[in-house]
Amino acid sequence: MIEPAIATSSGGSPQRRMQAALLRYLPLLLLALAWEVGARSGLVSTLALPSLSTVVAAWIDLLKDGELVSNGAASLWRTGAGLALAIVIGAALGIFMAWWRPVNVLLSPLVEIFYPMPKSALIPVTVLWLGFGNGSKILLIFLGCMLPVTIGAFNGARSSEQALVWSARSMGANRLRMLWDVVVPSAMPELLNGIRTALALSFILLVSSELIAAREGLGYLIGFLGASGTYDAMFAVVLTVALLGFIADRIYLVLMQRVLRWRE
Amino acid sequence: MAQAQIVIAGVSHCYRPPSGRPVLALEDVTLDVRGREFVALLGPSGCGKSTLLYLIGGFLPTETGKILIEGKPIAAPGPDRGIVFQHFALFPWKTVRGNVLYGLERMGLPREERQQRAQSFIDLVGLSGFEDSYPSQLSGGMRQRTALARTLAFDPKILLMDEPFGALDAQTRGLMQSELLSIWQRTPKTVIFVTHDVQEAVYLADRVAVMSARPGRIKAIVDTKFDKSDPAIFRNKAFTDKVDEIWNLVRIEAIKAQTGRAS
Amino acid sequence: MPGGPLAELAREPSAYRWLRTAGWGFARVVSLVALAVAWELAARSGAFTPYMLPALSAVLERIWSDLIAGDLVVNTGETLYRAFAGFLIGAVAGIALGMGISRNRFTHWFFDPIISVGFPMPKIAFLPVVMLWLGVYDMSKITMIAVEAIFPVVTATIVGIRGVERELLWSARNMGATERELLWQIALPAALPQIITGLQVALPIALIVAIVTEMFMGGYGLGGAMNTASRFADSRGVFAGIVEIAVIGYALVKGVMLVRRRLLLWHQEALAPSTV
Repeated sequence: MIEPAIATSSGGSPQRRMQAALLRYLPLLLLALAWEVGARSGLVSTLALPSLSTVVAAWIDLLKDGELVSNGAASLWRTGAGLALAIVIGAALGIFMAWWRPVNVLLSPLVEIFYPMPKSALIPVTVLWLGFGNGSKILLIFLGCMLPVTIGAFNGARSSEQALVWSARSMGANRLRMLWDVVVPSAMPELLNGIRTALALSFILLVSSELIAAREGLGYLIGFLGASGTYDAMFAVVLTVALLGFIADRIYLVLMQRVLRWRE
Repeated sequence: MAQAQIVIAGVSHCYRPPSGRPVLALEDVTLDVRGREFVALLGPSGCGKSTLLYLIGGFLPTETGKILIEGKPIAAPGPDRGIVFQHFALFPWKTVRGNVLYGLERMGLPREERQQRAQSFIDLVGLSGFEDSYPSQLSGGMRQRTALARTLAFDPKILLMDEPFGALDAQTRGLMQSELLSIWQRTPKTVIFVTHDVQEAVYLADRVAVMSARPGRIKAIVDTKFDKSDPAIFRNKAFTDKVDEIWNLVRIEAIKAQTGRAS
Repeated sequence: MPGGPLAELAREPSAYRWLRTAGWGFARVVSLVALAVAWELAARSGAFTPYMLPALSAVLERIWSDLIAGDLVVNTGETLYRAFAGFLIGAVAGIALGMGISRNRFTHWFFDPIISVGFPMPKIAFLPVVMLWLGVYDMSKITMIAVEAIFPVVTATIVGIRGVERELLWSARNMGATERELLWQIALPAALPQIITGLQVALPIALIVAIVTEMFMGGYGLGGAMNTASRFADSRGVFAGIVEIAVIGYALVKGVMLVRRRLLLWHQEALAPSTV
């Protein structure tokens, strides 16, 4: 996945690094400032763009009356469950495909055919099967996010160096041990990258499906607030969702780097 | 006695990486190069010989000391000093002909003349028939010939060569060396040739400037004019003696570079 | 010396390559047929209701009738039009922005956090906002698509330009190229492979977003049609939509790969071994 490099400040005291981070994210602060000023001064109609302060106030209200938490919990539960299924089954599938030729020959073409399909096309069918509730969302995210994980696991497992596999064999490892000791660790970098893609995709599918067909959840909340005209609250939830996606990605990156510590 | 074409006086260069401590690459380098002379810069890895070349070429700014080309300090890279890199630096999206034409297009020549010149240089380096090939279709030796043709085409007075044959296999290297010499004898230019291969330096150059380990300094300048047309030159006693002499000078520096690197 | 490019001689024996591609093509067809057969059998077995899993034959029939009625063409056209429009805007803006960011320190400083923070965000969450500002017609859909498509393109452009070999730029400067010429004649072509990769990522994204926006806002387009089908519990229509969209998605990705191969002919050839 083509990704902007995260600025790693090499060296310097924690103070220095904080300063560097502040400078780096300053444009966002400036934009926030511009937003507030623009809305207050009447440059922009507050109907279209409520001021940042009203949005924040609305956000606090939503938090207080529990709407944000209950819908947020529903959304996160769906994403978590769907993603967990996608990761476990997808990774297993990918590794088996790399390990056993016949499985590969059978499934590779299918993976290749279904990968380019826009997963959002599955929204109506999951709704058809499981209605507006949790089930359809979890199924959607599972189906939609499985392939990137499978492909990552597959490519990663394939790349496990021949030399490593042979060394393990010569040291008496049987097939299963080899799988666990050599193939899985070698596959990690690519697999973890595949999971990162799946993570981003899960949020997209979650929000899309909740916007279109749901009775609860953050996406549903956005739609509901928008329809009822409470735009400041709507903005608040939109930003919450966007931020959640961003934070999830960053947390994942930290975890990923920790797991891949051995990789220099 | 004519003033030297290239005057390098007291040049030092400090390399400042984005993170980490600055490193002194060159220290107080002084060298005079006469017009049409073939000078080799010889030294162990990391001694700064390529850095010196880039300074002469104007790709790096001269901060300490001065470099004069025909009496004038250098300001920027220019077509008077053509450079040839170790890894060819060919434009991969252009054909051989397209690459050679690039410099010519900047000279403002009429189209007919450009094409003719390009063709003649492609023929000169022995690539006739490959004008429409892309670099990725060529072997290492052929790519280097293209790079050579490209640089020769815009007729620079001075040729700067940065270990141009370093990326080639031994046989191709040998061929390219004798070809370079014959081309140079036909269209004489001032050449500054960077290498770490003693034999190559002695074979090609009129004078060899031996550089010390980092920070680079000119340790010695040795005359190496021989009758290069002798096909058995590599077994000629005077030649091998000269190679030994210079190798002794370099070996100490190479060891210094190795052990210095270990820290 | 032999005349003509060496590549013809040096390429892997073409029979081998043909066999391998044919082998894969065959496997693909077999798998697809197996899947189709499995679907049909499962649907007919009675384990699923026709509502849950309409038979493949019924679905294909439906696609056929949509095609004849002209609906399929209209919907596909609408979706593709929006997707491409948004994609093109995102692509051009993305490359321009990427070039600007590479050249200009201020632009780099200003946009870097926006891109870095915006990239992992589910930007689709902003769809209601875009709708609020730009209405319920094509404008808002295309804007949303462009916003999503621009990110991979900008990132790829920046990475591509940053990765241009120093020695390529130096050689060009050596030959008298100006700053402008360096950017347009050297940096951009050198960055092209990476930029095209970015475009390859952006196009499927454009399609996904087009479909989602259509599902949300209704009306014409493949997404809108599927949404309508879903509302009317028309399961054949829903499945027909999936098949249609799958085919289009596949065709698009394959098409882009072909375009890439043509544009990067000089790059592709690097795969062919050479001798001499």
